Amino acid sequence: VPRRAAEEIPYAGTMNRAPTDFMFLRLVADSFTRRPRRKVLTAAALSLGMAVVTAALSVSLDVGDRLASEFRSLGANLVVTPQADSLPLEIGGVDYRPVNAGAYLPEADLPKIKTVFWHNNIIGFAPILGLSVRGISHARDDEKGLRENRTSWPQVSVIGTWANHPVQLVDQTTWYTGIDKTNPWWQLMKGRWFSNDALECVIGKNLARESGAYQNGRRIFAGLPIGANFVIDRGPSLPPLFLKAVCILDSGGPEDDAVIVPIAIAQQLANQPGQYRQLYVSALTKPEDDFARRDPKTMKADEFERWSCSPYVSSIAYSIKQALPGTDVRVIRRVAEGEGTILTRVRALLWVVTLAALLAAALAVGASSAASVIERRTEIGLMKALGAGSGTVRFLLAAEQLLLAFVGGGIGYSLGIILARLVGQKIFGVAPAPSLLVLVAVLVLAAGVTLLGSAIPLRRASRYEPAPILRGE
Amino acid sequence: MMSASGTGNRAMFWRIVRRLLGANRGRLVVILLALGAGAAVTAALLNLQVDAKRRITSEFRAFGANVLVTPRDVNSNGLQSGVSTLDSSLFGRIPQSNGDGLVARASLLYGIVKVTPWDRGAETSDTLGATSAVLVGYQFFGNDLAEIFPSTIVAEPQGRVLTGVDAGVRVSSCELGEQLANRLGVGIQQSVELQANDSHVICLISRIRRFGGPEDSQILIWLDAAQELLKQRDRSSVIALSVPGSPASVQRYVSQLQSSMPDVDVRPVRQFTEGEAKIYNRISGLLSATVVIVLLLTGLCVMAAMTNVAMERRNDVGLMKAIGGATRRVLRIFMMEAALLGLAGGVIGAAAGIFLSIWLGKQVFGVAAQPRLIVYPVSVALTTIVAILSAYPLRRLASVRPASVFRGEA
Repeated sequence: VPRRAAEEIPYAGTMNRAPTDFMFLRLVADSFTRRPRRKVLTAAALSLGMAVVTAALSVSLDVGDRLASEFRSLGANLVVTPQADSLPLEIGGVDYRPVNAGAYLPEADLPKIKTVFWHNNIIGFAPILGLSVRGISHARDDEKGLRENRTSWPQVSVIGTWANHPVQLVDQTTWYTGIDKTNPWWQLMKGRWFSNDALECVIGKNLARESGAYQNGRRIFAGLPIGANFVIDRGPSLPPLFLKAVCILDSGGPEDDAVIVPIAIAQQLANQPGQYRQLYVSALTKPEDDFARRDPKTMKADEFERWSCSPYVSSIAYSIKQALPGTDVRVIRRVAEGEGTILTRVRALLWVVTLAALLAAALAVGASSAASVIERRTEIGLMKALGAGSGTVRFLLAAEQLLLAFVGGGIGYSLGIILARLVGQKIFGVAPAPSLLVLVAVLVLAAGVTLLGSAIPLRRASRYEPAPILRGE
Repeated sequence: MMSASGTGNRAMFWRIVRRLLGANRGRLVVILLALGAGAAVTAALLNLQVDAKRRITSEFRAFGANVLVTPRDVNSNGLQSGVSTLDSSLFGRIPQSNGDGLVARASLLYGIVKVTPWDRGAETSDTLGATSAVLVGYQFFGNDLAEIFPSTIVAEPQGRVLTGVDAGVRVSSCELGEQLANRLGVGIQQSVELQANDSHVICLISRIRRFGGPEDSQILIWLDAAQELLKQRDRSSVIALSVPGSPASVQRYVSQLQSSMPDVDVRPVRQFTEGEAKIYNRISGLLSATVVIVLLLTGLCVMAAMTNVAMERRNDVGLMKAIGGATRRVLRIFMMEAALLGLAGGVIGAAAGIFLSIWLGKQVFGVAAQPRLIVYPVSVALTTIVAILSAYPLRRLASVRPASVFRGEA
């Protein structure tokens, strides 16, 4: 009698009866302790496969949100304007309407935006009030040396806005927003943003040039270095306004030709206290599908519910319009649609990859569990020789495989989380949060794959004739 | 097999390999399946990765113009816009492609005009509906104006657009932003009168577009008509370009253009180019990670299959050793077997990968991925290497002791 078979004799007697629960557990435990190396190998293959699946799933689940916030570097995707407004005369980002034309909106209403249903998705907003003023640069802090004839001063575009402006939220916390959040591509070349309540300004880089700003070969504006003053004419009855330049702005856009000031100063210059003309909102959105493009007015009640509970750019626009009465909220299609198509594509790509990873991992794990059944031929033959039915053998082996699947799946999950962290950290700088959903999915998958992989050899095993196997044939 | 001559030795070697491969048809199919699946997925994903980078950059073109050529002079004169202008001749000097494709380009002239709905029958304009609006004169080279101004067409006449002389007045065609059209209460095939200073022109509305931006309240006409109306002969305010290609190649294009036109500012639209660069890097990082993952998994597949093989080969190895086979030569037989399997699986898989990548490309990008021929030899080679490396479990056979194998011990 071969030695291996002899080792298995201790539980031989019990095989005649239906195995008791205790006996069954002992058999399973025995197979793990007696040949740990084989089990470790199978479990390792399983863990590796499941680790890759975990990593792919975690990254795929997370990537939509990550990329969506990445897309916010493209700037605001919503613009709010007064409903009863005249047509804007905007050329290159500057509105050329005179200050007394068109409608305005109250700045005091702005905190309401953070009370809408989608307030967590709104990551920044900035009101804009632009106008054209007469102004020059002046090194001194007083009027000494200023040219008396102020009507000859050059016209300069001034943009009033928020920068790092505090907003009181309903839960008594303070949240900061402003043009720095909505236009993240703006770079401060030197210095800092203005304080919202100080007489300070940020100079567009074309006006800050030391050689000054030219038009048709004529120098119309002397350079305005940091620390000098931008002096604005306020008519004959008022003294000119001095704004200290604290920073140079490189916007890569028309704002390079303008002076950015706190909105309160622009309001005072335009004689429109507490008002703004346009509001830019940057919101995290879900790419629009056909459903999102439907007109909410034609939707049934349950469809409307579903629509307003999905962070589509149109439903966020709708909820902002509800919070700020008398406004038109328009989607900046250029940003929103480009973002939508790219997000959809990348997401589809990642799901394809994840599926491929799942398939490959399933193949690997299935093959290794098939191997682990084939090598147990002698043992199966012995069990059958001692009177175990095909069902009992199958059940026993399936239980072993399941136990292996859970152990391997668990280890694979932990490994996969580390792998996902590495990948996430490397690509997005942020690790995806471990998700319970992924754990459940991985365990179910591991169990399914091992059972499927061992199903064919198990079926064959249960048909084995014990005699030839025990003879070593 | 030890005593035979060189040629006999080789013949024996191949005969054993052949026998080993043919010994168990079922197992052969399983291993080929694992290797083939791995190779197919690798080939398809590699192909998709090469294609995806190109596709993503072409998706970026949905953002519209990404490079602007502007006058160096500051535009700070309030309402007197158009003071800082470019010479129209610059437009002809823009390179037409950057290696990655055609550069869509538009020469634009901005101005403010009074727009009035014009009733052809009454031959008078209704001054009540007048409004000021921004006029954009454009000259465009490319496939679609949407390459510069992303937009969808809201209304367009069926058939050819009528232009030319109508009721004795020279009529040119124009395109209106949706908001402006709504404000004026006009539709396609109706006319508007544009007035600036003391000149005026009548235009037939040929299209209404939705831009989702400031262009929605603007009116677009041909550049020469705008130049005449605004008295800016041969001038334009800005040249807008939509340059295809990766962020690095756009950057190269910009610096080349700047050095060939030192008198004007050539700048990328930072709002989009910076975001694009970031997103592009993220996406290509993701794609590279996926290729590594797929290779890892292919290896795992093969390793699992080979573990199976090793288990069944104990007796064979025992016999070979017993009749005098050196461990190294025995192992070489198995390595050759693995390499052959890898090659066969790789070729089968790569062929399947062609179809898989076409299908995947359709699913993800709506267009079949163009097969890159280089991808297939690469994936066959990778699969062969992976197969040989994954034959590691076979190395354990080196420690087989013939005597214990023949006694039926493990």
